[in-house]
Amino acid sequence: MSEPLLELADLTVSRGGAAVLDRLSFKLDAGESAIVLGEEGSGTDALLRVLCGFPDQADTVSGTIRFAASPTRSAAKRLKPPIRIAYLPNPLTRPLSPHASVLKQLVRIVARKLGAPFGSAREELRLALERFPTAVTLQLLDAKPDRLDPVTQAIGLLACVSAQTPDLILADHPMADLGPTAVKLLMSLLQAEHKRLGAALIFVTGGLQAAARLGGRVLVLRAGRVVEEGDAVRLMSGHAHAYTRMLFKALPKLNLDPPKARTSATRGQPLLQVHGLSCVADTPMRDGLTFELRRGAALALVGEAGSGRRALLRTLLGFEKAPSGKVLFDAVDLYRLSEAMVARIRQHIAFITGEDDTLDPRMTINDTVDEPLCAHLSLSRDLVAGYREEALKRVGLASHDGNRPVWTLSVFDKRRLQVARAFVGAPLLVVVDEPLKGLDAFAQAIMREVLVDFRATQGPAFLVVTSDFTVAQTLADEVMVFHEGKLVERGSISHVVREPKHETSKALIEAVLLPDLSPGPGSV
Amino acid sequence: MQRFIARQTVRLVVGVLGAVLVAAAISAAGEAYARNLPGYLSAFSVHLLQFARLDFGVSAVSATPALQELAQNLPLTLILVGMGFGVSLVAGVPFGLLLALRPARKIAAPLIQVITATPVFCSGLALAYIAVHAVHWPVSVNAPVGAIVPPDQFWQITALPVFTVGLAGAAAVQLALRRSTMQSSGESFRTGLKRMGLGLVEIEALYVLPQVVAGLLFGAREIVLTLLSAAVVAEWVFHRTGAADLFVKSVALADWNMAAILLFVFATVTFSVDFVGKVIGHALAPGERV
Amino acid sequence: MTARDTSLSGLILRAVGWFGLGLLALAVFLSDFLAHEPAGATMTGAVLAPPSDLHPFGTDLLGRDVFSETLHGLATTGVNAALAALIAIVLGGLFGAVAARLPRPLAFLLRELWGVLASVPSLLVAILLLGLFGHGYTFLAAGLAAAPLGFVRAFDAVDLKSRHAEYARATGIPATTLLKRDLTYEFRYLLGAVTARALAAVTVVISTASFLGFGATPPARDLGLMIAASKISFFSAWWTAAFPALALVLLVLCARLAAGLDEGEQA
Repeated sequence: MSEPLLELADLTVSRGGAAVLDRLSFKLDAGESAIVLGEEGSGTDALLRVLCGFPDQADTVSGTIRFAASPTRSAAKRLKPPIRIAYLPNPLTRPLSPHASVLKQLVRIVARKLGAPFGSAREELRLALERFPTAVTLQLLDAKPDRLDPVTQAIGLLACVSAQTPDLILADHPMADLGPTAVKLLMSLLQAEHKRLGAALIFVTGGLQAAARLGGRVLVLRAGRVVEEGDAVRLMSGHAHAYTRMLFKALPKLNLDPPKARTSATRGQPLLQVHGLSCVADTPMRDGLTFELRRGAALALVGEAGSGRRALLRTLLGFEKAPSGKVLFDAVDLYRLSEAMVARIRQHIAFITGEDDTLDPRMTINDTVDEPLCAHLSLSRDLVAGYREEALKRVGLASHDGNRPVWTLSVFDKRRLQVARAFVGAPLLVVVDEPLKGLDAFAQAIMREVLVDFRATQGPAFLVVTSDFTVAQTLADEVMVFHEGKLVERGSISHVVREPKHETSKALIEAVLLPDLSPGPGSV
Repeated sequence: MQRFIARQTVRLVVGVLGAVLVAAAISAAGEAYARNLPGYLSAFSVHLLQFARLDFGVSAVSATPALQELAQNLPLTLILVGMGFGVSLVAGVPFGLLLALRPARKIAAPLIQVITATPVFCSGLALAYIAVHAVHWPVSVNAPVGAIVPPDQFWQITALPVFTVGLAGAAAVQLALRRSTMQSSGESFRTGLKRMGLGLVEIEALYVLPQVVAGLLFGAREIVLTLLSAAVVAEWVFHRTGAADLFVKSVALADWNMAAILLFVFATVTFSVDFVGKVIGHALAPGERV
Repeated sequence: MTARDTSLSGLILRAVGWFGLGLLALAVFLSDFLAHEPAGATMTGAVLAPPSDLHPFGTDLLGRDVFSETLHGLATTGVNAALAALIAIVLGGLFGAVAARLPRPLAFLLRELWGVLASVPSLLVAILLLGLFGHGYTFLAAGLAAAPLGFVRAFDAVDLKSRHAEYARATGIPATTLLKRDLTYEFRYLLGAVTARALAAVTVVISTASFLGFGATPPARDLGLMIAASKISFFSAWWTAAFPALALVLLVLCARLAAGLDEGEQA
């Protein structure tokens, strides 16, 4: 038998006395793939640090590591590995210098890895890009990272990996938050390259989508330990560790069941009415958009990034005036009111966004939740504290010290704080904008529950902006699909999901439909 | 890039125009008829018009044209500042880089505080004391201004003010450098590129260094301010003639016209350095903080 | 960002700084009681006597007890610096809060004009203002001169274009609440650091101006003036300059430590 490509034995990494990775033993054969699944702080990053050969100063590493036929050595040593390892990062983590061209940096990396001159490295990169069924070329990549969209960068990074002809690919959350269609494309590219190169693959991820798509061996890490190891199909069936089972139960799936009788959409009086709205000048939005959102109803604006959902949202809420058309909120024309009046109406709107800079980083948890109450109503201190407590309890932040400033919080906590802030104001309309961005699978599952619970208890209308049909389906009843600034399809979500008419809707739905690895949802 | 330069140019022009206004306001204060508001306003407009016609008036103290006075004194100060800047680079850059390293920072940061907390005139006097007692240089802090310096002592006499200015500048240089190094030490691309396979030296030299230098250039304004401020003190302590010394004397003797023109010159120097620093910094590392 | 150094060493150093400032404030408060001699008393001993039991800091050219004089000088400098710091903070803060709320072009213009003052070393501005106002207003001149130095910058964080401010507007939070929020946070969490930083900056400006002859008018003496006066004697009698200088450095150092290591250096 041939030797495994990589063998880790009793790998332990500790920081400041606490073990972040606890006695991990792991074997990987040449050409094999393994998914390492873990939430933030589960030890996946420590594993990557060791495998890349750059443990932090603060890390204490013990255990051994062995590459292919070379002798076993201590994992704490910083030595050049005897096999070729290529690292695939996520472009959203800004792995490249913002001040130099992406192409130049990638060429340099390939040249270093292959020990080749720049000219041939460039040629390798070109060939790799040509193998991909995408329009990305060397010329396109010759720009600074902030001038390129993340998907193009991701393709460039993948080409860079491919050009290195590695023995082992280390994929570090490579597709998180890139949008479902991009994930689908990149996943198929990665799978193809993995097969073609015959390289082993370690795919570190916090999300379940990739795991479900890639299949194969899965290691579930939690608090530095492997809680589960096995085949994806087995893990996705019910026979697994409780933690794994919970994770996979939360795996968002599209519900393709036939729609039930429509009730919620016609629940109340119209809240937001849009008549013949033509949108902002520089985004080509279709002329004359007309729709209405009733009280307690929920509408999803679905589309890829840059499809004009945000522009529409900004116009709807009166941040930007539309050249023509009318927007009525609660039967009042937003464009005709004075600033003061609009401000009064806006008190009934709340936002929950995937970018947490809508929270003032200086404020404490308590002050953040109190502010809408204190600003809009004159309530006694006790009453305010009571409302605040309830809201924090609902989102699971009640155990946090309320005097902690926002900037010390984790992404997940900030996101939940946004929900608490929205909840406490009892809004009529909640705008939810990519609410799961930047969260790992575990946090995503909780966030979904929190939002569903919010809607169920207070019954505000939801306006959901997302590129993920599973999010749309969880939170909304109606959908409008946008593509390149145009509305291309609308209808009830369950209808659209079952019978999408437009190509964009089809692509977006397909992107979140998982290949049938498991025996099917019925057998769980 | 063009937009950036255009914006910086606007700032430069606005700044210089503002400096002209301030200078006119100051020199108007010297007029005898500017005691009340209407008088002051008319004096202000007269001086503004004069400046617009490039007529800078006469120094009230020496009764020579202000420009002539400026031409005599400014080069001395600029040379002092320039040489001090050289010293501050030599002393500040290695120091700043050393201090930016994590282990050194913890120990050295409080130490640096002690050094930078010393006002320039104290460190100047301390330097003079050391020079006299340790290396027996013929330094005097009480010699009359403009005393004839024997040629063989020229460098010894020149060295101290330059060192004084240089030390003050070095504090500013190391601070600016440390700030920009700290900022780029948190950059995610360092880890990214390292993991993707680039060498440490390569990353630092190609991608981090331009950013650090750009940070230093963005901080050029602070450095110039420190150097100018130190030049005032150094010229005073070591009895050297120069524009900075002239400014102090002009204010003391209520020669507002001269003071205003010197203030304008200093402001213009700062604005120009700021402009050049930002443009070069932007060319090196666009998008850095401005 | 308002992130501050919360490490233990940072906290200890800040505490040491504040403690030092407290001690100095106490010394200022009790200066008349602690000093052996009233301010300006000449010929209390031999001329230029070195430090001894009777005169722990020695005596100067006019036979003044350097210890007592240093205490009195520290009191003058300290009180002036505290007043100047107050002026600098209030003015700088006011300017920042107003500038953040003006329409863009107007704010730009105001900022740039203010920038003219900030483009001349604050020492020169202080000297100029002292020349214009007269020497009695040291604290006012130093405060005005130091206002643009960095305190405005803290208020630049109060950016109404920021996303959280936009969110507040989008949900109908009134502008007054936003202003209150800014003031609360800037003051509650930054006031200490900003005050200490301002104190360090104005102390240097005041003492340097005084050293150059723009400050305390005799017989009142502050540290800068004392050091200037000792220029004649300090080559042979080091104590005449060393002790006042030490007191000055101590004051500035404590203020800088209190401001926190990274911020303190902005002064």
